[in-house]
Amino acid sequence: MQLVRWKALVPLVVFGALFAVGWWLFADRATRRAVEYVGAEVVGARVDVAAADLRLAEGAVRLSGLAVTNPEQPMRNLFEADEIVAYVRTLPLLEKKAILDTVAVRGLRFGTERRESGALARPSPTSGRIVREVSGWARSVRIPSLSLEALTGLVDVAAISPDSLRTLSQARAVVGQADSIERAFRSELAALDPRPRLDSARALTQRLREADPARLGIAGIRSLAESGRSQISSLDDLGRQVGALDDRVKASVASLQAGVQGLADVRARDLAWARGLLRLPSLDSPDLSPALFGDIALAKVQPFLYWLRVAEEYLPPGLDPRRRPGPGRVRASGTSVTFPRREAMPAFLLSYAAADLELGGTGAGAGRYAARLTGLTTQPAIYGRPMVLAAQRSGGTAGPRDVGLKAVLNHVARPLRDSVIVSLSGLTLAPVALPALGARLGLGQVAMQLSLERVGDSLNARMVWRTANASWTRDGSPPDPNARVGSRAWAEGLLWRTVSSLRSVELEARLSGSLRSPALAIRSNVGREVAAAMRRELGAQVAQAEARVRGEVDRLVQARVEEARRGVDALSARAAEAVSAQRQELTNVRSTLEAEIRRLTARLPIRIP
Amino acid sequence: MLLLKLLQQFVRALNSDGTPGQVAAGLALGAALGLTPLVNVHNLALFAVITLANVSFPGAMLGWALFVPVGFALDPLFDMIGRRLLLDTAALQPLWTSVYNTPVLSLTNFNNTIVLGSFVVWLLLVLPLFFVVRAGVARYRVHVYQRLAQTRLFKAVTASKLYNVYRLFRPD
Repeated sequence: MQLVRWKALVPLVVFGALFAVGWWLFADRATRRAVEYVGAEVVGARVDVAAADLRLAEGAVRLSGLAVTNPEQPMRNLFEADEIVAYVRTLPLLEKKAILDTVAVRGLRFGTERRESGALARPSPTSGRIVREVSGWARSVRIPSLSLEALTGLVDVAAISPDSLRTLSQARAVVGQADSIERAFRSELAALDPRPRLDSARALTQRLREADPARLGIAGIRSLAESGRSQISSLDDLGRQVGALDDRVKASVASLQAGVQGLADVRARDLAWARGLLRLPSLDSPDLSPALFGDIALAKVQPFLYWLRVAEEYLPPGLDPRRRPGPGRVRASGTSVTFPRREAMPAFLLSYAAADLELGGTGAGAGRYAARLTGLTTQPAIYGRPMVLAAQRSGGTAGPRDVGLKAVLNHVARPLRDSVIVSLSGLTLAPVALPALGARLGLGQVAMQLSLERVGDSLNARMVWRTANASWTRDGSPPDPNARVGSRAWAEGLLWRTVSSLRSVELEARLSGSLRSPALAIRSNVGREVAAAMRRELGAQVAQAEARVRGEVDRLVQARVEEARRGVDALSARAAEAVSAQRQELTNVRSTLEAEIRRLTARLPIRIP
Repeated sequence: MLLLKLLQQFVRALNSDGTPGQVAAGLALGAALGLTPLVNVHNLALFAVITLANVSFPGAMLGWALFVPVGFALDPLFDMIGRRLLLDTAALQPLWTSVYNTPVLSLTNFNNTIVLGSFVVWLLLVLPLFFVVRAGVARYRVHVYQRLAQTRLFKAVTASKLYNVYRLFRPD
């Protein structure tokens, strides 16, 4: 029996030939599908290629009509390219590695409209997760509202309930404590019971005064003098006890006085609470800018966060095995693991790409542009150098010339270091709806600057949009010029008058902190102008409203505070008076007793110890 | 239709002129096409082996057809095995790194948990499968075939047009 079935060689060769013909026929389509699939995986939205032309012998791939959907705006493309020609090394393809030495892009256009939505029904797990996380962060950012209701019906003092004011309860507590301390003082003073000892001392003083030394003899005098001294010692003890009681009362009174002084702070807090209850508008300009431009700034910064995260995901540092979902097929996809090796080639490397584009027309953005990209790789640790993207305007017919982009993504090792600087002029942005103002802002030709620095998980970014030819369109009917001050119509009119005169608009958004959850700060001259106008026109109203609130709070709490203060003062005075009287009486009795002892013993020929 | 073809293959495999060993070898090799995801380089190589080696081609097709549902059903198991080998066994990482970075070998997709897991399971099954099937076919031919050859169904199946094509691959 033969081991090899030679007669099957012919069908096998035929099969191989058919396979080769199939490859030849469908390689272009497979290439197109592969680019669309991988592109959609990375971008998180549809990537369309009109045609692909794969020429392995020349190591060239030509893509025509590439359209990459903007994942944030599915009816718009991030960019379109008429033609992309890539020169690919063929041998690495046997390792399923794509090493592109050069890529030339022609006919590049940004932000073009799509005929059909480029949203994916099921985005890749990676991009889907990043979209969810960035959207979750955006939802967690609290954009304060600029409520016109807050500007109307400014004062409603009836809303202040006495039960809600802490000053009242605190003052009541102080009065109660004062009463309690006084009762305790009186009780302790009574417990000391000085009267028997005083009476006894007075009786002894009387005996000393009436004593006849001749009759008593030395021994009798000595005995009487010792009784007197013992009595003096007892009076001294009593004096010390009264002093200690005095100290305790003074300490308690001091504590109560501190409580009375603390009532001022509590009242200030009550006032702030009552003011908040009335929803008086905050006229600080930093508060107004987020209210006016929070949503638009949030929408503008989200793409940057998204692309930073995408870059982190697909351009990871280090050489650890990396997992990704397996290819889509009828069978389960499983997980595909890549095992990068420093001596080998990366799975994907685009060594050098160049794009030249020209924007037509006579606008500020018209002109020729050139972009260069080096070192885009899925395994930066193997490539060993950062990815650099630079774009600049190489010639223009009109407008400013400070158009530039420089991005350096250094993912060779941890910590990741990204820096992006973008400067764009002549950018035309669509009008922006500002519901808080009831208006639409036409930004016209905008200059945009972005500086972004990322080190590890720490992000610091600043974006500024400026325009000198802003236009404002009122949504709905024009405001009533005769509206009552403080009414909603009046507030709308105020806002509209303020913003509609502004031609120069500047908006700044800052991101700082963790890349996954950065803090967003927003400033704008519009916010400042509106705040200033509000302060001018509403200042008196707000001051009046605040005065009424303050008056109402004071009316409710003043009596109690005064009562507390009086109670504490009275307690202090009464305690001092009682102690002082007690001390005075003790001193008098003691002095008299001592004088009588001295007088009696002074007549003796010898000194009694 | 599919069932009929399966039946046809089954009958032809069992009753071909090939030895029970050739049928068993064909079935064991064909099982790889069913157990592992089809579009992979190792399956292309196995198909060439099935075609050129003097094994039963219908046996291989039968193995393929029989093990496709098994492959689908066992995908979670393959994924688990593949995951264990690719990710959880540090000692094997140098091997996978070499495979991943070696031309052609990397086209086998052995860096995918399902592909690797199913291929390993097939490797473990191939010899037991070969011996069990060989014994089964031998016993069948001795005890069942003679009676079955007289039935109308058998005659109808073997009379199909595909039979001539099959003859090209019939074991010598």
